[in-house]
Amino acid sequence: MATSDRLDRLRNDASDDADEDTGFSLAATAGAVAAVVSLPVVVLLARASDYGLGHLLGLVAKPSSVQVLVNSLVLTGIVTVGCIAVGVPLAVLTVQTDLPFRRFWTIVGALPLVVPSYIGAFTFIAAFGPRGELADLLAPLGIERIPAIYGLHGAALVLVLFTYPYVFLTTRAALLSFDGTLVEAARTLNHSRWEAFKRVTLPQILPGITAGGLLASLYALSDFGTPSLMRYQVFTQQIYVAQRSLGVPEGYPAMLSLQLLAVVAVVLALESRIGGSTTSYISRGSRQPNRIELGAWKWPALAFCALVAVLCLGVPLGVLGWWLYRGGETVFQFDPAVAWNSLKVAVAAALVATLMALPVAGYGARSDSLTSTVVDRLTYVGYAIPGVVIGLALIYLTTSADLLTWWLPVGAESVTGLLQSVYKTVPLLVFAYVVRFLPQAVGTVKSSVLQVDPKLTEAAQTLGRSPFAAFREVTLPLIAPGVAAGAALVFLTTMKELPATLLLSPIGFETLVSYIWLVRGAGSYGAAAIPALVLVGVSALSMVVILAQERYNG
Amino acid sequence: MSERFGQSRRRFLAATGAATLTGLSGCTGILGGGSDGSDGDKPTLADFRGSGQFVSDRPAPGGTSIEDLPDLEGDLSVYLGGGEGGRYVNLMELFNSYYDGFEATWDTQPSSQLANTVVQEHESGTTQADVFWSVDIGSLAYVSENGATTTLSSDTVSPAFERYHPNDQWVGVAGRSRAIPYNTDEFSESDMPTSIDAFTTESRFAGNVGWAPTYGAFHGFVTAMRLIRGEEATREWLNGMLDQNVNRYNNEYLVAQATSNGELGAGFANHYYTMLVLAGRPDAPLDVTFTQNDAGSLVNAAGASVLKGSNKSDLAENFVRHLLSAEAQEFLATRGFAYPMIEGVDPVGPLPPLSELQPPELDLQKLSNVQPTLELLRDVGILS
Repeated sequence: MATSDRLDRLRNDASDDADEDTGFSLAATAGAVAAVVSLPVVVLLARASDYGLGHLLGLVAKPSSVQVLVNSLVLTGIVTVGCIAVGVPLAVLTVQTDLPFRRFWTIVGALPLVVPSYIGAFTFIAAFGPRGELADLLAPLGIERIPAIYGLHGAALVLVLFTYPYVFLTTRAALLSFDGTLVEAARTLNHSRWEAFKRVTLPQILPGITAGGLLASLYALSDFGTPSLMRYQVFTQQIYVAQRSLGVPEGYPAMLSLQLLAVVAVVLALESRIGGSTTSYISRGSRQPNRIELGAWKWPALAFCALVAVLCLGVPLGVLGWWLYRGGETVFQFDPAVAWNSLKVAVAAALVATLMALPVAGYGARSDSLTSTVVDRLTYVGYAIPGVVIGLALIYLTTSADLLTWWLPVGAESVTGLLQSVYKTVPLLVFAYVVRFLPQAVGTVKSSVLQVDPKLTEAAQTLGRSPFAAFREVTLPLIAPGVAAGAALVFLTTMKELPATLLLSPIGFETLVSYIWLVRGAGSYGAAAIPALVLVGVSALSMVVILAQERYNG
Repeated sequence: MSERFGQSRRRFLAATGAATLTGLSGCTGILGGGSDGSDGDKPTLADFRGSGQFVSDRPAPGGTSIEDLPDLEGDLSVYLGGGEGGRYVNLMELFNSYYDGFEATWDTQPSSQLANTVVQEHESGTTQADVFWSVDIGSLAYVSENGATTTLSSDTVSPAFERYHPNDQWVGVAGRSRAIPYNTDEFSESDMPTSIDAFTTESRFAGNVGWAPTYGAFHGFVTAMRLIRGEEATREWLNGMLDQNVNRYNNEYLVAQATSNGELGAGFANHYYTMLVLAGRPDAPLDVTFTQNDAGSLVNAAGASVLKGSNKSDLAENFVRHLLSAEAQEFLATRGFAYPMIEGVDPVGPLPPLSELQPPELDLQKLSNVQPTLELLRDVGILS
């Protein structure tokens, strides 16, 4: 039986027998969480509506706005196609062929995900930029200029290199799970290998490729660091600059944010049309087709894998290692307290997100009502909202609280005061992380909850336990691994988050990413080596979590 | 592009490894060190002053010493716009280390972005910082024009040259002149023109000059030209430079560097960058010159203001006074290569004194009007 069928059955059993009272309080808590995390979008809409439709449309029609839209779409398109072009062959090679050292290439193929793309970007600039390390190496050979890395091609290259693992991992999962006998059947019907791949394999793994492509395109749309470093004007980078520059037209950042969200919505809609059911590749236990023998193609295949590995891992680690070795930086000194700050906010975000995920996941797993679907979807809002938009919305919320409180009959002043008092505080920063990364916790917790037979908790209640005690004593120990995995994912993505951190950090509160961003901005690349290596090291732990979660699909 | 930064005294201690935080009574003389028997773990003049060729035979700075100022006491938040690659932060670390009961924390971002943030916070009643310290007058003027600053007392501003506190809403603490770095293998000082117009007309400069048009200080330079000559003449000058195939760089440090290694004959860059290259390579064939009475010799300044909405305005103002102390001015001159803003402290190395420069007559407040400059640069095709 397919996992999804089994989950459906569990869910039906559960909702049939669900205790009415528990159901209501659970739904209410889940609904409250959903309402809280949708706040940024509400704020953004309230802020934008303040400017009037005519004014906003005027801004949309500005040539510079159109340029930003086109740039964002072009970059996202190229990155998505590029990720598929790199990720799918790599997945096919490591799953279906006799490529030497397949296990090794599998791990190496997934590892670039641990390098935050902005670290990838500035190491690429250092290596391949004008007067970069490569240019220095080539200078004695008489090569004076190498092609500039800045712009669309630089941004696209870096994003593909550090985002393709999404496609690689989902395609691999699809390849591993599909029924190999089908290919053999096609072969017995005299189809060539290529034809069998096209007509049998491809349709089977298409949902996996689409799922990976979706993650890659959402990443490309939401990434702030890479386009900023590559000086390519896209939504995220323009929103960040517009929010804090002099002489920007009223409402411009809010308008850009809404446009970006609209593009995200279109991408999600497209995916649901192309991708259809993404569950078909989850089924397991099927027979693998015979391995394709590469023969003489082994060498180009190995060269391809090696090239990807050198670009994705060799360049960034090499550059960081070289800076570390060279040292010599005196203006900036790395303070471990910075790493400690990162750790504190990431732990806080992981704890809060997990606590909030529990009722949402529990409700989603035990009910398939319309309300539960809506609540479930709402908590996913953060996943589609880039960090820069969440940051901007929370700045609006705390600095223009009157926008939201005019309808309060009493107490508007104290609400406004409260909101102003959290502006640029650590709790607000943690809240931003929670909104952004809650879906990761909900996803992993929910899939664990679905594996727990509700009859167990009922038995506990029959034996006199309260619903909460039954949850604590029976359900929680069973779902603990899933909860831990969800918390770990939130922790690690929070450590790496850049734009919301830049927008919302209190004065004097510095984290690994803001420190890296600072010293790089001041031109002190060498000072970025230690924090960047620490960050990559911590991120590498995320690989453990990702690989431990066999159903990694975001 | 942005950057930000926060800090506490702990990093300074970790960084130097030398300073220790023992109770210290009986201050040591700023020039001496332990003359009264204490260990002298307070920073001394030597800590404020840089080292190397520019500094070796400098006299002690004139002006008011920190010792003669009221003690800094309490926690202070500073918005730091720019900051010479971290050097301003180092100065605050020295203050943190100098006073046991004082701790400054800060947040660094590009000056125009912080100016905007300060004004937004002022308007929404969420002022975060006590002091706005920024590397250009344009951003300081923008903040004061929007009513976000308090008036500084005459005690605070009087040490500074009069030109650099026009309305006492802010006071200059470090001068930054536009300048022309040139390669001494290619040109001698007498070859260098005294007007920026020569660079658009003379063939010896064709393909041989560099600029950094995305750089904030460059925008200040073009804004000054607009204010002095008007929009059309500025457009002509920019087009003239494009016709000369001017070389484009990402920042002015690279312009100075390219000039030092012979890639360029000359460039447009703040005087500071020439000094920075020379500090790293004292024998580089590089020198710096200044045009006369045009935008090419504009003297901008880093300055500070006290923000309205701060509940520590006394501490904030005392901090600004410290920035104009003899030690801080010596620091900014020898480590930041800035033009000091008080009598009695000289600029370093080959820099002529401020009084010998011939900057254009200009209302510096108007440098905040950058937006038309950006539009002009876009229009001409220099910015995208």
